[in-house]
Amino acid sequence: MGRPAVTFDHVSKKFRLGERYDSIRDLVPSLARRAMGGKPTLRKAEDFWAVKDVSFAVEPGQALGIIGPNGAGKSTTLKLLTRILKPTHGHCEVVGRVGALIEIAAGFHPDLTGRENIYLQGAIMGMRRVEITRHLDEIIEFAGVREFIDTQVKRYSSGMNARLGFAIAAHLEPDVLIIDEVLSVGDMSFQERCIRRMERFKRDGVAIVFVSHNLQAVGSLCDQALFIQGAPRYLGTAQDAIRSYIEFSASTEQIERNGKVTVVGAELRDAFGAPASIVSPGDELTLRTRITVREPIDDVTFGFMLYRSTDQLIVYEGNVLDRVIGFSGLNQTEAVVEFTFRANLTRGQYHVECYALHNPTHEYLSRLVPAALFTVTEEVTCRGVADLQLTAALAAPLGAGARAGLQAASIAAKG
Amino acid sequence: MLNQLTADVREMLEEQVTYRELLVQMTKRDLMLRYKQTIMGFGWAVFMPLMNTVIFSVIFVRVAPLDTGMPYPLFSYTGLMAWNLFASSLRFAVNSLTANTNLVTKVYFPREIFPFSAVVVSFVDFAVSSVILVGMMIYWRVAPGPAILFLPVVLAVHLMFTLGVSLLLAMGNLFFRDIKYVFEVVLMLWMFASSVLSPVSMVGGRLAVILQFNPMTSVIDAYRSVILLNQLPPAGPFALASALAALTLGMGWVWFHRTEFRFAESV
Repeated sequence: MGRPAVTFDHVSKKFRLGERYDSIRDLVPSLARRAMGGKPTLRKAEDFWAVKDVSFAVEPGQALGIIGPNGAGKSTTLKLLTRILKPTHGHCEVVGRVGALIEIAAGFHPDLTGRENIYLQGAIMGMRRVEITRHLDEIIEFAGVREFIDTQVKRYSSGMNARLGFAIAAHLEPDVLIIDEVLSVGDMSFQERCIRRMERFKRDGVAIVFVSHNLQAVGSLCDQALFIQGAPRYLGTAQDAIRSYIEFSASTEQIERNGKVTVVGAELRDAFGAPASIVSPGDELTLRTRITVREPIDDVTFGFMLYRSTDQLIVYEGNVLDRVIGFSGLNQTEAVVEFTFRANLTRGQYHVECYALHNPTHEYLSRLVPAALFTVTEEVTCRGVADLQLTAALAAPLGAGARAGLQAASIAAKG
Repeated sequence: MLNQLTADVREMLEEQVTYRELLVQMTKRDLMLRYKQTIMGFGWAVFMPLMNTVIFSVIFVRVAPLDTGMPYPLFSYTGLMAWNLFASSLRFAVNSLTANTNLVTKVYFPREIFPFSAVVVSFVDFAVSSVILVGMMIYWRVAPGPAILFLPVVLAVHLMFTLGVSLLLAMGNLFFRDIKYVFEVVLMLWMFASSVLSPVSMVGGRLAVILQFNPMTSVIDAYRSVILLNQLPPAGPFALASALAALTLGMGWVWFHRTEFRFAESV
């Protein structure tokens, strides 16, 4: 391994909470008092460690994701990397040309046209004028703003602004790319394009540091991820860090409760009855839901929802009605409902929610979220959510020419 | 200490080389914005000193005649032009960091770019307004002589001093917003202490001793000497002004550079 492109060595950053003197009016009396031997009238300043003792390194061609709740120090970390802030302790170093997108269109001036802003923003990012001119068409094309390029940016929609900002960064040819939450803006096709562009950067040997709340994107793009909350909580493979973050933030709670029926707990077991938290695609799982009934209740349904944790996608919803088990006249009992299903899922983090539903009114009587968490691991990464257990075969004979071509291709592949 | 200083100065200069195109782009941006949606455009650069020249010419030619050794409009236009470069640079620079909070807190590049581009923008105005001076010299049949070759030196001293004060003001206003209010008053007093409209030599007495330490007086007088009188500026006072200008720029820039990393937190 060569020298890391990004080194973050035991870095801490302290901020002072509360205002200090902001005008001479405050400063002068305070200095005067100090000169008289009194105590300075600083409003009590409290220290706040936004980032505490964080270390990581990113090699060229690798991507590091930084995840964590709001206010965890993610953006501060990026600002330390880009030299906007100076660490209180520790040392950070970035080797080579840095492309930074802390706020996507920070350098734009609303009164300038798109074209003028490309040159300005490009220069801010450290591009040469000839370089920008060379990439101008690609940038405009990537951003999809060709008709509006000579219009003032203040007339742009926020999506157009963001697209133009990313498009400039995407053509920077950096050695290190530092990106803060770009995927929250722009429509779906643009987000997809951003991800693909970042993947290409990685292949070209660019080191990427990527802050995002889009865990799905972090999981698919990043090799390693750092979960921080001021102090680092987990640094490891992206999947493990995401899992650690999800487990940390998933404090189980009852969302609805009316006291009559309560889903009190749930557990997930594998085919051998052992608790399941890491499973392979196709494993058989059993979800045991424990329910307490305090008052007589008729016509109630128990069910569960399966979510992909990284983006809250509902993968599946199942309930006992589907399996024609009636629940009527329940009273003062403890019940256990078992659901057995196959985890035909691709790699990722999933969680289940268990609920009790009053059938006639469609009202939730009780919801437990998340009732259980699990991770699906696999060797080969399939894209998507569901494992469709694909098999493929050549169903119809091809023409002679095509077959010859196919053979040639397979020989070439072997060679 | 000296090693640290050399390292800082090297870093400061290297950064300016690396980001040289940004200075151009920032200046372009400020120029475009300055005259965008105006009808007169660069005409404004000429209009202000010209108006002032007319007003003060009426006062000092008709109301209270003043002997300046040359046609008064030439005297005052040269003074106002030079003063305007200084004053408008400072007016731009004082807000340059605080008006670009977005950039200061979101993107890294040497922050000197902001006050520097303020000076360059004002310099473009200065160049435009000098066209009028040429016109006036033709009208009054004042031809420059060989002393005009000294003009670049005068300009360099003028710019050094302006850059130095711009850096200090931009930085000061970031930490204490009072600066931008105080500075307008100071600027007005400073103008009357700089032989813009009347020669400072007429003040006399103890006040004149203090006033000769004002680099702007020497600079403005030097412009008149080399352009209009075909004389080199007096060596002593001009050397003093040059030294003060170099000191202001050097100290201002190093101080600015060393404080720079606190800007994003304090703006």
